Amino acid sequence: MRLKRCTQGIALLVILLFACALILDDLAILLAGSTLLAGLFGLWYSFDRRFRQAVVSVRVARSLERAVVRTGTTLRVKTAITLQVPAHMQVSVSEILPSGVVVQDGEINASSGTSALPVTWKFAYRITPVVHGTMQFSGITLVAQDTFFETSIVLSAEPFRGPVLSVQPRGLFEPSGRGSGAGNREIEKMAVLSALGVRSLREYYAGDDLRRVDWKMTAKHNKLFVREYAGIVNLPPLIIVDLPWRGALYPGDEFARMVAAVAGQVEHSTTMNHYSTVLLISGPNILHVIVEEKDLQRSLSELREWMHPVERSAHFYRMTDRSDLRRRIRALEDPSDRTPDPSLEKFLGSLKRQYLTSLEAQQTPAFNSQIGRTFSTLTVDEVYLFSLFTGDASHLHQLIRQAKTMNLRVHVRVPKGLDLVSFPVSTGLLGADTVEAFA
Amino acid sequence: MKLPVRQDHGFFLLLAAGVLVFTVAASPASWYLYPLLLALTGIVLYATRTWKDRVFYILCAGQPLVIALSAALVWAGLFAEWMLAGIVLAELGMLSSRNDWLTSAAFCGATLVIAAGIQASNHVLLPLFILTGIIALFAAVRILRDYQFRKQYSGAHP
Repeated sequence: MRLKRCTQGIALLVILLFACALILDDLAILLAGSTLLAGLFGLWYSFDRRFRQAVVSVRVARSLERAVVRTGTTLRVKTAITLQVPAHMQVSVSEILPSGVVVQDGEINASSGTSALPVTWKFAYRITPVVHGTMQFSGITLVAQDTFFETSIVLSAEPFRGPVLSVQPRGLFEPSGRGSGAGNREIEKMAVLSALGVRSLREYYAGDDLRRVDWKMTAKHNKLFVREYAGIVNLPPLIIVDLPWRGALYPGDEFARMVAAVAGQVEHSTTMNHYSTVLLISGPNILHVIVEEKDLQRSLSELREWMHPVERSAHFYRMTDRSDLRRRIRALEDPSDRTPDPSLEKFLGSLKRQYLTSLEAQQTPAFNSQIGRTFSTLTVDEVYLFSLFTGDASHLHQLIRQAKTMNLRVHVRVPKGLDLVSFPVSTGLLGADTVEAFA
Repeated sequence: MKLPVRQDHGFFLLLAAGVLVFTVAASPASWYLYPLLLALTGIVLYATRTWKDRVFYILCAGQPLVIALSAALVWAGLFAEWMLAGIVLAELGMLSSRNDWLTSAAFCGATLVIAAGIQASNHVLLPLFILTGIIALFAAVRILRDYQFRKQYSGAHP
């Protein structure tokens, strides 16, 4: 319980009156002080009674989009808090989030007016767990105040807490040899959708879809033939947006330009190709995929929801690729670069040993596999990559390499003033087909 | 309860009427003192009408009048204190429901008992001790109940 400024003044006045009454032995002053004190305690009693009424009336209903997620996954939380606001009192509530969780967007606190009403606050926000483990939403904090007093209570009893969020760890590297053996290999791949055009005809095999039987050919050759449909042509590009990290500085005006450029690209893709596909990443974290969205307004609405700096659960710092290391080793072994200087020779030998050691311990980053799986589920032949290129860009290096491996054309869009020549990972951008400013 | 004038103005008019009646009926030697102190309360009531912590200034300005009236007659001082409380509660909008009026009546009852105790006393020390003891007991009970309440709603068993 905290006394507000007005109450502190009245309490001081009471003390002064009592002191004067005691010194002067004056019953009139004692009456003034006593009645003020009685009034103050009456107000306290009234405030406490109304506060209890408010607390008893609180009802909390909270739901999670998913109960089990991996570290770094963003999920939506919806909370409805209902309470009866007592007369002459202002009440505010705020969610208590588990530690190890960051709020990406949305409100988690609200305040009432001073009129006595039953109120319902509905919070909808998105969180990203940055550590793994079991996390429980531990309740809400309720703050009540009037002209004289202010108090708060943490409501963490059974009706106010929950549900439990289970966060599974996500490794930075892929486990080696997963699902391999006896010549088979596990793949996480969606079924390929066929187009309308017929690519070829072949004989019928048991299990083929009877709807694909070409009856004319069957009648002509007296043998069952089925159509093989062609793939989809005129593919819209995959738009990849690399969102900046919330924990680092980023150029706000350039970010605004990038948002506008992405929106323009999505609009163009939807208009020309009837749909757009957007992949949102932040560093080596895949945040969200808008898959083949035909409705432009819905695409832009989702972009508005996501286009802001986000928290990253995984970070890369100068993450080298195996092929890069091999290239460097080959460069060191090149006999044409031999120098007569023995000290330099010794240094290069040491460097080569370092590279070999790194190569032996090299693991495949999980991000690479995730990107590979994402690319394989999408039908694209062109990628537009938007990034501010603030901080480490190893993930972009890996991403471009993956795209090139899958024969995708890569167009990188960078801020206008970015000096690519002096940029540390400019070599990673060499694989891109075009590099242009998005301003 | 609907009054024809603003509630705080109504309580001030009642206070003014009470002071006038007391001054005329009792005819004290320093009769001019009461209208002057009443005017002080009225001036503060008017001057602080847009101030944030107005309640504090009204109470401070009203206490000299309460003391002056109590020195002449305890019940007159108590009446002035009730009217000041009425002004303050009306200012805060805390006299709008039946429950508010009942709380105010409880306050009047408690202060009536205090005034009766003071009327029966000759010196300050004993009633001050009794009052302090009652208040300390009341505060201790409230704090204990508050602790139990918080414990229950914070997840621990009551």
